Formats: sequence, structure tokens, C-alpha cells
Amino acid sequence: MTHQTQEDKDEVTHQSSDYLETFKPRAMDWSAARTFAMKNLRIALRYPANIMIWGFLPLLWFAPYILMATAVGGPETTAHFTEISGYDDFIQFVIIGWFVFLYLDNSIWGIGNNFRVEQFSGTLEPLFSTPVPRISILLGAAFSDSIQGTIQAMILLLLSMSIFGVSYSLTAIAPTIIVLLIMVIGLYGFGFMVAGMILVFKDPSVLTQLVSETSYMISPVNYPINALPKPVQFAAYLLPTTIGIITIREIAITGAWNLLNFSQAVLALGGLAIVFWLLGLATFQFAEKWTKQRGHMGGF
Amino acid sequence: MEQEEKTIFQKMWNREGARAELRAANALALKQWQVEFSYPLSVLWFIVMPFLWFIPLIIAGMAITGGAESAALEGLVGTSDWITYIALGSAYTGLAISLMWGTGQALRREQNVGTLETLMTTPMKKETLVWGSMLHNLQHGGLGVILQLTASILLFGVTLNWWGIIPALMIVCLSVIGMQGLIFTVVCVVLVAKQGWMIVEFISSTLLLIAPISYPIAVLPTVLQYFSYASPLTWSVEGFRGFLMDGIAYSGAFNAIVALIILDVIFVIVGGLLFKRTERYVRMKGALSQF
Repeated sequence: MTHQTQEDKDEVTHQSSDYLETFKPRAMDWSAARTFAMKNLRIALRYPANIMIWGFLPLLWFAPYILMATAVGGPETTAHFTEISGYDDFIQFVIIGWFVFLYLDNSIWGIGNNFRVEQFSGTLEPLFSTPVPRISILLGAAFSDSIQGTIQAMILLLLSMSIFGVSYSLTAIAPTIIVLLIMVIGLYGFGFMVAGMILVFKDPSVLTQLVSETSYMISPVNYPINALPKPVQFAAYLLPTTIGIITIREIAITGAWNLLNFSQAVLALGGLAIVFWLLGLATFQFAEKWTKQRGHMGGF
Repeated sequence: MEQEEKTIFQKMWNREGARAELRAANALALKQWQVEFSYPLSVLWFIVMPFLWFIPLIIAGMAITGGAESAALEGLVGTSDWITYIALGSAYTGLAISLMWGTGQALRREQNVGTLETLMTTPMKKETLVWGSMLHNLQHGGLGVILQLTASILLFGVTLNWWGIIPALMIVCLSVIGMQGLIFTVVCVVLVAKQGWMIVEFISSTLLLIAPISYPIAVLPTVLQYFSYASPLTWSVEGFRGFLMDGIAYSGAFNAIVALIILDVIFVIVGGLLFKRTERYVRMKGALSQF
């Protein structure tokens, strides 16, 4: 090794030590969250077809419900459906359900699976040894997934509207954005919880499918909430998307914006967001400690 | 001792023929069961999976019809019992999904855990790798079908024509052959595209959309109806459900069996050729274990 290289190395070591010596742990590192989100988005942009496909795929998932409704109920929306749901267009009803549900699906598959992807790439342990609060990494993953999810949801909405010839009230745009924002914040907590569970249980294909299919089954996506048994309705209201779907659906289809109902929905969503954040962070912290103690962090 | 080991090794190496391939396929199927059962959540998922797909269809159907009878469905297929119609269609779908997804992604799983190249160098036919996984998924999906049908009979009042069970199983056998062609194609996508699960999802979702699972083909747009007739999944679902609902008196039996035999021949030849070519291509590129 030459004298010059040794000097360079010493300088780098000295600089690193300076960084570590002056480093003060913070509760939240926004710059790390942004960097992590940008990294995820950069990877996503390397496969632009994926975003397009994920915007298009849900169409293939909900079209069977529309075809089934035609087969068992006839070409027009049935009187029974109108009676229990309060809406006279099944297709218009279902599209909004899927538009909102995509956010929940994204928080389960995206945020939750993020650490599994890092695990497979062999970067999870280095990532967790960086002097960055975990919440920043989790939020970074959540931000990138929200951006991708919104693009996918918009593709699905516009595509479905043009294929099925349905339309929604333009006055719904502002309240929809407000409801979606609060709902997405709540879903971050939900996603953190799934991420913690994946750290412990490892196999995300089973866990995420289990969580995703169960929440899909109890969500009023393809049917009104009162089509579910009473105890299941209660469980459904514990998901942030249920209030989101019901509120957005009402405003988007009827165009009527009742301030009292809307405020109640926003308050309930805000409450759920706080609960899910507390639950999500606690679950994740416990899962991280549990896996670290057992040396399972990078294991499969 | 050394001589004995050498003889065993040579015997193993020289083992060939259908019996040896069957043993290898069985070993692969057993290995996959062991892997699945080492994840405790897999067991839970295995039990609840058939219901999580079926129950939303039942809730939606109830919200639309308000009862167990559908005059619209009777006008289309001659039966008003929409619950039995959907239960039998979706039960078969569980098996098809298990075959397509499970087998289609089998090589990818081996690739992820770094055992694909090792498996490819063992003295078994390359196709046996796919057949082994298919055998596991047939057992896995088959148990799911039994579980779902039992629960449907007990909880939702689904009625079966018991005389139709053996013919329905024959339909499943014919269907598995045709599905193999599809699965080989899916495996090719996975081998070439690496992150091909999205393409697999697209192919399986499209096949499920055009299959008469919870609705008859008549409600599909005309263009999709043509694609539906060319899919082995369509005739499998129709045959399986037809026999279990009407027994040996099922009127569409001849059409379903003949269509399945023709599609089996086409799909197996095309899928087999595609797999052979793709496997050679990937080996030549040295991309077998690349992600």
C-alpha cells in the first residue's frame, strides 16, 4: 500500500468518526425517509410496465363480480340490491369500492412486503444497522407505495369509467382527497403492523394473502356493508378503508355532501389512524426486537 | 466399502424410466409439503383459503338476488340454484389456481433459494421438475376442493349428484393434462422473464375471467367467448360442475370431453415444445440462476 493511499484511508476513517461523533439520534429523520422513498420509486420506475399492469389487473378481478351480477340478477341492477345498498347502479357502486380498496391492498402488499424484498436482496441487515430511526424507513416505504398506489388507483378509475360508461360527481374530488389522505395515514399504521408480522413469520406470500383476502372479504367493496352479518360489520368498521369506501361512494355517486356526516367520518378515520399508528409501531418494535434476539433478521 | 458406495452411486445414476421419474416427482412433492408445513401460517392459509375466495361471491350473490334462487340464471343455464352453481365452479377454480400459480412459480422458488441449478444437474428429466411440483399442487388443490365442497354442503345447502363424482374426477384428470400445457408456458415465462410473476398473474387472471366459474359464458362479450372456448379451464369447469349437478345425465358431457381431449393434445404439444426450447435457451445463456 502506498503512503498516499494510507493517508487517504486515514482521512476517510477520520471523517467517518467525525460523523459518528457528532451524530445525534433523532425521533424522525425526514431526509432518510425521503431517500428510502426515492430509492423505491427509482426501482419501480425501472419497471414502468408493472405500474400499468397493477392499474389494469384489478379490472380483471372485479369484472367477474359484474358478470356474476348480470348472470344471477339480469342486465339491470336488481331491486333487492337497490333496497339494501341505496344505489341503483351496481357497476358504479363496485368501481368506487375497488378504487379505495386498492390503497388497502397496497399498504398490505407494499409496505408489509418491503422488508421481505430487502431480506431477499440481502440488504435488510445493513439497512437496520444504519443510524436511522426505523420509523423513517417505514415511512419512506409507505410514501413510495402511496405514490404508486395513487397512480394505479387513478388508472383503474379512469379505465373503468371509460369501459363501463359510468361517471361520478365532480364535487366529490375535494372531499375524496381529504378522506383519502386521512385514510392513507391510518393505513400506514396498518402496513407497519403487517411489516412487523412479516419479520416474525417470514413467509409473506401466505401472511399477506391471509390479511389481504380477509380484509377484502369484510370490506364493502362488491356489496353494501349491511349484506354482512352484524359481528362482521363491526370488524369491517375497524378497517380504515370501510369508512373511506362508504363516505367516498356516497359523495361520488350522489354528489351530496352532508357536512355533519362528513365530519363524523373524518373524525372516525382520524381516531382509527391514531389507533393503527400506535398498534403498528408497537407491533413493529416488538417484532424487530424478537427477530434480533433470535438472530432471525436476515433469515428466510 | 468404497466399492459399495460406488455401486450405489452408479445404480442411482443409471436409474431411468417412468418409475424412476415418478419416484423423483413424488420426492419433489413431499419436499414441498415439508417446506409448506415448516411455516405455521401456511397450514392456516391452506384451511381458510378456499373459503376466502368463495364467501365474497356468496355475499355478493345474496346482495343481488336476495335469496337462493335466480330466475336470470335459470334462463341462461337451466338451473335457478345459483349457490350450487357458483360453489362448484369456484371449488374447481381453487384447484386450477393452485396448479397454475404453485407449479408456475415452482422453478422460481428453487431459483430464489439457490437450488435450481443443483436440481437441473440431477439425473432426472427436466420436465419431472414441473411434474413433481404439479403433483404436489394437485394434492394441495385437491384437498382444498374437498374441504370447500364439504363446507358448502354443510353450511350453504349445496347439493351434489353423487353419481357424477367419478365422471367429474375423470374430467379433472383430462383437465390436468391440458393444464400442464398451460403450466409449461407459464414456467417458460418465469424462466425467461425472471420477475415473471406479474405476467403469471395477468395470464391466470385473464383465464379466470373467461372461465365460467360464477357465470355462464353467455354473459361474456362475444370476443371473449371465443377465447373462452379455446381454454381448457372453460371445459374443465363446465364438465366438473355439469357432472356434479346432473350426474351421468349431464347433457353437455360429450362436448366437454371431446373439447378437453382436443385441447389437451394441442396444449401439451405446444407447452412441451416451448419448455424444451426455453430451458435450452436459458442454459445456453447461462441465466438459470440469475434473478
